[in-house]
Amino acid sequence: MAERPDIKRLDDNTLEVPIGYIDGMRVKGLIYVDRQLQEYLEVEAIRQVANVATLPGIVKWSLAMPDIHTGYGFAIGGVAAFDIKNGIISPGGVGYDIN
Amino acid sequence: MRDLVEALYREIPSGVGSKGKLKLSREDHKRLLRDGARWAVENGFGEPEDLQYIESGGSIEGADPSLISDKAYERGRAQQGTLGSGNHFLEIQYVEEIYDERAAEVFGLFKDQVTLMIHTGSRGFGHQVCTDFLEVMERAVKRYNISLPDKELACAPFYSQEAQDYFSAMKAAANYAWANRQCIMHWCREAITETLGISRRELGLELVYDVAHNIAKVEEHIVDGEKIKVVVHRKGATRAFAPGHPEVPERYRAVGQPVLIPGDMGRASYVLVGTEKAMQDTFGSTCHGAGRVLSRHQAIKRAKGRAIWREMEDAGILVRSAGKRTLAEEMSEAYKDISNVVDVVERAGISKKVAKLRPLGVVKG
Repeated sequence: MAERPDIKRLDDNTLEVPIGYIDGMRVKGLIYVDRQLQEYLEVEAIRQVANVATLPGIVKWSLAMPDIHTGYGFAIGGVAAFDIKNGIISPGGVGYDIN
Repeated sequence: MRDLVEALYREIPSGVGSKGKLKLSREDHKRLLRDGARWAVENGFGEPEDLQYIESGGSIEGADPSLISDKAYERGRAQQGTLGSGNHFLEIQYVEEIYDERAAEVFGLFKDQVTLMIHTGSRGFGHQVCTDFLEVMERAVKRYNISLPDKELACAPFYSQEAQDYFSAMKAAANYAWANRQCIMHWCREAITETLGISRRELGLELVYDVAHNIAKVEEHIVDGEKIKVVVHRKGATRAFAPGHPEVPERYRAVGQPVLIPGDMGRASYVLVGTEKAMQDTFGSTCHGAGRVLSRHQAIKRAKGRAIWREMEDAGILVRSAGKRTLAEEMSEAYKDISNVVDVVERAGISKKVAKLRPLGVVKG
């Protein structure tokens, strides 16, 4: 079995969550975080960024901002866009505290 | 300052499950859900000019109050016009530093200016809408045969009935939040003018911007060189549209959309501005705030035996809170340093620093 790719640092401010980090990812994940804030980055939150990348219709990449932390389904600090033609909408992508 | 903080604390109901002073009929409430901040202004809370400086004019079209459960109505009606608890706050701040003179001037900000920041949302109403529709979505996942790595990602195809119903109900909750902040801003202006014994005109206190950070919206973005319509989900992330975008208020259009980044109560908050790079890379989005590093439970443990209010007062920040527990949960150490967070988005180019705001007086739920 092929080894799973790990997250990789693209530059001082971004980390990539490569396709294959978990099964079924349609796009890459991209997390805005520097080395200092990476210390707070939870494995579960990275996993959530990857999970979102598996959803139908997601375009470009599954994003997360430097204030990322684990949330309900989608990480808090997450941004994801879905093509309205073949994509989805998810309450977890908005959260409980709407607006 | 103590008088101002006391007045804000007295006039704006706060705390877990706090009850508001608005007594709305079901019909009024429906209008509020349809029209958001516009409802508030039409009913005497604030001024028509305010609406120009709210994302989406404080009112998203397509909110359908008939999709709201009785339980959501019940929770919503009692809590309209309240601050709530948790990370929500009212802060009197001052502008400590300006990074972008031009944008600051356009936004009406200058060094040593006193500002007021309001951070709250749709309260129990939005919470109930989310809860109600998670159930609907769990059924939709089976019905449309969507395979998910985690059941918390429950969703439905955008054009399905379930998705459209959620979207309309979510819009009602978004409008609820905009109406809520509009009413609270109005009461803050009243409380401050009364306390200082000055007129509304003397006070100033014009709205710089009101922006959402937990919302899904249909927007046009360029993907693979092609402009397409997408549903952008921002969860704890803020819209940060670039200069020239038609949704940026006309007065700000040459510099870009203001972005408000509320920090923790002891350190700082920021005003940023959106960039073209954000349009290209992040669907016009940036960070929201500091982000927790300690769970609420861990924070309470860490605060044991300490008087957080006194520590803050010693640092020059007056704080008033409905509960000691909230102060413990919300102490600075529970959060990442906002300055580090903002530096990352600035270096990455997805927004630019305009001003840094320091807290002077804090009201917490």
